Amino acid sequence: MLQQRCFHCHEPVPAGTDFHCEVLNQPQVFCCAGCRAVAETIVAQGLSDYYKFRSKAANKANAVPAELKTKLQNYDSAEVLQDLTEQVDDAQRIELSVNGMSCAACAWLIERQLQQNPAVKRVSVNSGTARCELVWDADATPLSELLGQITELGYQASPFVADLEEQNFQQEMNAYLKRLAVSGIMTMQVMMLAFGLYFGEFSGIEAQYEGYLRWVSLLLTLPVMGYAALPFSSSAWRVLKARQLNMDVPITLALYYTFIASLYATVFDTGEVYFESVCMFVFLLQLGKFFEFRARKQARDATSNLLKVMPVSATLWDGEHGSPTSARRLQSGDHILVKAGETIPADGVVESGVSSVDESMLTGEYKAVSKQSGDLVLAGSMNHDGILVINVRSALTESRLGQIIALQQQTLHQKPAILEKTDRIARFFVQRLLVIATLTFCAWYFWIDADRAFWVTLSVLVATCPCALSLATPTAVTCALAQLNRKGILVKNQHVLDVLPRLSKIFFDKTGTLTQGRFSVTEVQIFTPRYDKAQLLNLMANLEQQSEHPIARAFSPYLQQALALEQVNLHVGAGLSAIYQQQQLRIGRPGFCGLDPQDPRLAGVQVCFSIDGALAATVQLADQLRPEVIPLVAALKQSRLKLAILTGDGSAAAPSVAQQLEISELWQGCSPEQKVAAIQQSVKDGETVLMVGDGINDSPCFHAAHVSVALDSGTELSKNQADVVLLHNDLQQLQALINGSRRARTVVKQNLWWAAGYNLVIIPLAVCGFVSPYVAVIGMSCSSLLVVSNSLRLLKA
Amino acid sequence: MSIIYVLIPIAIIFVMIGIAIFFWAVRSKQFDDLDKEGFSILFNEKPATTTKPEDQQPPQSRES
Repeated sequence: MLQQRCFHCHEPVPAGTDFHCEVLNQPQVFCCAGCRAVAETIVAQGLSDYYKFRSKAANKANAVPAELKTKLQNYDSAEVLQDLTEQVDDAQRIELSVNGMSCAACAWLIERQLQQNPAVKRVSVNSGTARCELVWDADATPLSELLGQITELGYQASPFVADLEEQNFQQEMNAYLKRLAVSGIMTMQVMMLAFGLYFGEFSGIEAQYEGYLRWVSLLLTLPVMGYAALPFSSSAWRVLKARQLNMDVPITLALYYTFIASLYATVFDTGEVYFESVCMFVFLLQLGKFFEFRARKQARDATSNLLKVMPVSATLWDGEHGSPTSARRLQSGDHILVKAGETIPADGVVESGVSSVDESMLTGEYKAVSKQSGDLVLAGSMNHDGILVINVRSALTESRLGQIIALQQQTLHQKPAILEKTDRIARFFVQRLLVIATLTFCAWYFWIDADRAFWVTLSVLVATCPCALSLATPTAVTCALAQLNRKGILVKNQHVLDVLPRLSKIFFDKTGTLTQGRFSVTEVQIFTPRYDKAQLLNLMANLEQQSEHPIARAFSPYLQQALALEQVNLHVGAGLSAIYQQQQLRIGRPGFCGLDPQDPRLAGVQVCFSIDGALAATVQLADQLRPEVIPLVAALKQSRLKLAILTGDGSAAAPSVAQQLEISELWQGCSPEQKVAAIQQSVKDGETVLMVGDGINDSPCFHAAHVSVALDSGTELSKNQADVVLLHNDLQQLQALINGSRRARTVVKQNLWWAAGYNLVIIPLAVCGFVSPYVAVIGMSCSSLLVVSNSLRLLKA
Repeated sequence: MSIIYVLIPIAIIFVMIGIAIFFWAVRSKQFDDLDKEGFSILFNEKPATTTKPEDQQPPQSRES
């Protein structure tokens, strides 16, 4: 039978469920109440066009939990708003980061939904960066209501503050666009005039018109030289001041030499003008740089939702009542209340309450830690099931989370430097070019023909013009980046492709990177004849569906059919109970299920399941390896890379993973500082190091390694700091990344050889005066074209 | 041919206007998200506020 798929999220519809709703005058089936609720909202708001035009299915919408509303209301507190928004006239401006957007139609949907609220002055959603800029009147409508409306559409929005670096990126992007426009439009104009001059050359042109066209060309070239080419000349100037050479030096040299020669020719009405070459050269270089920058910016934006890890709001507790406040304003000695499912906003000591807390993002330990009165809790960890009252010990900036972020800022500037290959080539090339040009000028001026000295030197400079050389690397890098992007590998730093082919050692984080970072069912033992394994697992999954505990999520893949359970009860720290067909079901710890913990069948068992007090099944859970890890490790070993595991987990799970993967180098129980030290030691030993991780505790060592890779399932902070993000959560892509960088290196090498070979042929001819400037320009354009088309091959790979 | 003394300056003025408009467009964030603008033409300018009669019936599966 054909499996029915949910109209909203296209996921399979589980048997035994019945959710449908009419959309676009057609009855449609949904997989869950969440998806149907979203579709109903969309239809009711008259926004069903969304379904007509979306290019990708939506993410599965989970039913909106009732406590979400109270959670969102924390954002309404005046203190929180003040920290997050900025006043624009009589309205507030805020930036939101939206989760769950899959295509541009989603952006439209959110905009339309919010625009229907009269309090909203302006709303603009960026589908590329998943950000929403919202200007609204906070007195008329609280923020929580607007966030709630976004949630009803199946997206999760949270306030966000863009960091300074990102704002700079945006400004730079705009500057790139403007320069591109100036150089592009001017190139067209100057080229048009140049055609007049070309034809004049053949069929004759009156001197006054020729002079006029030249002067106009000069005028139109001025903004290109003075504005669009500014980044090249300022970069060259910076490098020269530091007594270094880079690729911008020969570019600037050629630009200015050509421009000044043309200027001279125009003013004194002699020789040739090359304004069109100047403009086109600038335009092509800008275009290459623009695409490269855009690819990097998109990768950055998609992964830099940093503030989301920092807890935003907190609930102050005076013994009887809670009042919302901003997490940043918490002081040592404050008492705060943390409900189930909330992020703990500050380091402190539990005063009352019992709960289990997930600290995996900070420590690498994936098992929930149980906390009770007197235990220490850390900011940024997640409170699972109980309510805690916490006595704050330190403000957010001095918390463990704050310290890790500070550590990572420190390491930011200690990134091991690698001399860029193109810079070395540039140095080699520029030195020789300058010597040859000077010698040519002297030789012609003093011995051969003083009148032609200037023009021969010009043709030497134009013919050897570093166009091909300077395009060789950026075009190849841009194409390789685009290709990797298509595969879901976001590369944020351009040096990555330069470094990766030389890679010698890879450090893996364990929890969440090599392993799945969550529990999964490894073994089920059945002690009842009445149900088979699938039925029992389905029953357990139905029960566990009611819980948010990480153990409960291990059962969700086994949910096949919804069963009618009654009186479902959640017992914090123990388990769940329910009535099914007049039978008492209990799942959880042995004691909770009414079993004797000394029973030999229960030795080492994590979850028991009982029906009417009799043991029905026992379940073993473990954090399993990702399925792709074993072939990946084998392939990496074959390419003679050294592998190591670097984990904060101090338990026996770490050696067992290392043994399973046959990785001999294991660093376990490491603090973030020790992780940084381990990597720095390797770098000192001369290794080129790659670090793969996903947690907050991995992010400081991302800067210590030459290249860092994060998974999309990782924390926002790690994605923000990593050089590369694997979007499909598939470690196998690491292999694709390394292969891609190797292919890019091959193409760069071919390009450089071609450029060098071409120069070797043309320089002697130019020096001897056989190359007229026109031929030099044609040669330059052809070799550039060849380099670009060679780089384009990378797109097809 | 002396007409080019007039036509070329006029062309330059148009170029300046074009560049000025482009700069304005960049400043007013029209280039921030190119995907979304491509979609905007597909959707109705105003959301359809009139609900069709069949939409007003509650879906039968509500209570299930």
